[in-house]
Amino acid sequence: MNAQLPHSSTAATAEEAIARQEALPPLSNEAATDVAMQNTLLTPRFYTTDFDEMDAIDVTPVREEWDRLIAAMKADPNRGHFKKNEDWDDVDWEGMEPRLKREFIDFLISSCTAEFSGCVLYKEMKRRGSNEDITTLFQLMARDEARHAGFINDALREAGIAVNLGFLTKQKKYTYFRPKFIYYATYLSEKIGYARYITIYRHLEANPEHRFHPIFKWFREWCNDEFSHGEAFALLLRTDPRLTQSWGNKFWIKFFLTAVYSTMWVRDHQRPVFHEALGVDTTWYGQEVFRKTSEISRQVFPFTLDIDHPRWRPNLDRLERASVQVAKGKERGGIAGTVSRLAGMAKAAFGFAALYTIPVIRHDVPETSRLEPAY
Amino acid sequence: MGLLTRTTETAPCTVRVSHRFDELSAHLRLDNGAVIHPGDSVLVHGSEIMAPYGEVVEEKREATITRASALERLWTRATGDLEFMELCEFSFSDEVMT
Repeated sequence: MNAQLPHSSTAATAEEAIARQEALPPLSNEAATDVAMQNTLLTPRFYTTDFDEMDAIDVTPVREEWDRLIAAMKADPNRGHFKKNEDWDDVDWEGMEPRLKREFIDFLISSCTAEFSGCVLYKEMKRRGSNEDITTLFQLMARDEARHAGFINDALREAGIAVNLGFLTKQKKYTYFRPKFIYYATYLSEKIGYARYITIYRHLEANPEHRFHPIFKWFREWCNDEFSHGEAFALLLRTDPRLTQSWGNKFWIKFFLTAVYSTMWVRDHQRPVFHEALGVDTTWYGQEVFRKTSEISRQVFPFTLDIDHPRWRPNLDRLERASVQVAKGKERGGIAGTVSRLAGMAKAAFGFAALYTIPVIRHDVPETSRLEPAY
Repeated sequence: MGLLTRTTETAPCTVRVSHRFDELSAHLRLDNGAVIHPGDSVLVHGSEIMAPYGEVVEEKREATITRASALERLWTRATGDLEFMELCEFSFSDEVMT
């Protein structure tokens, strides 16, 4: 058994942690096959990128802030945090309202998949890159994501659901991310992840009667990891002013902001029972998360989306309805289903275009980007 | 690499799956230094690699790399970026429950 070996999370230094992670002895597959509790296949994507371009990043312009951030991540203040203690009270999975259970499990699985995909991406960057600043960062982030995924996995196991990692022996197609898109997309996903978790955490702090599962108590430390990952990407984006200032890149930043915000809106509105159980109004929650994310992203992006614009909410709602129509059309099948699905897709495209063309709110980007989690 | 034709090759690889409380991860490394390009596919031979809870499993396997045609590679380079939503925890995952 490997479980008794000192794990990377108890290592004193990051170098040691990294070494331990890599030195873990293998176990034969025979012992493993008799354990077959699985019913959820994780399906992460596999990525490749332009590694030469990534290796060419020079963090010299932000060296001081960079070193401080990496040192803080190496010190790993959250090490040991993701352990179950007496705060992890029993969960009455049996007694949970079935629709709530379904939506909550869906929430856990998509969270787990996202952490897992992040881990796969970061590890790949770490392995293929040769720029030490960058590979160290990716290694540290892969560590955190794997830890989060493990923690969620444990919560799923309690519910009788085990993830199946068998995807490795399935045909895997490698997709491609341009390095700068990795920065935009992961910067945003880490920061919006922070905003989402901290908003729920603060809400439940004030309304503990709605905390129907103990995992929410861990959201603060969890999202502090997300926050510092976002900080690292903010620094990367500042190594080259063109990444956030050129005309073409501004176009992309606006695209990523609009796509991430609207997807979140649509997706959250498809989990009404989950949000009701938390005592959270989904619309309020969405706007609140956008507000926090926008405020944070001012550290690096030269504009924010105008989420109070009269066209904003109606078109988010239009996207949501279109998404339901597409799903129903797909389910229905046949010619009528296909027509309805295509009409839904056209509606969604129109809604997205209406959101995308809302003028942005411009501002000056501060001299230094470093922020601390403050919500 | 042809414009429309795919080629395949095999490569030794190492698969490492960690199914532990503090680390849930799965990684594939090609041991002969073969480089994966956009649109290529990799198939690891053999049965599913399952790690029991609490353990790390590492195995040497063979993998078949199917090289994308030039056109596929170009297409993946042009459109792959749009799959970024996967990284957000609210991404759509319609295969979650089986």
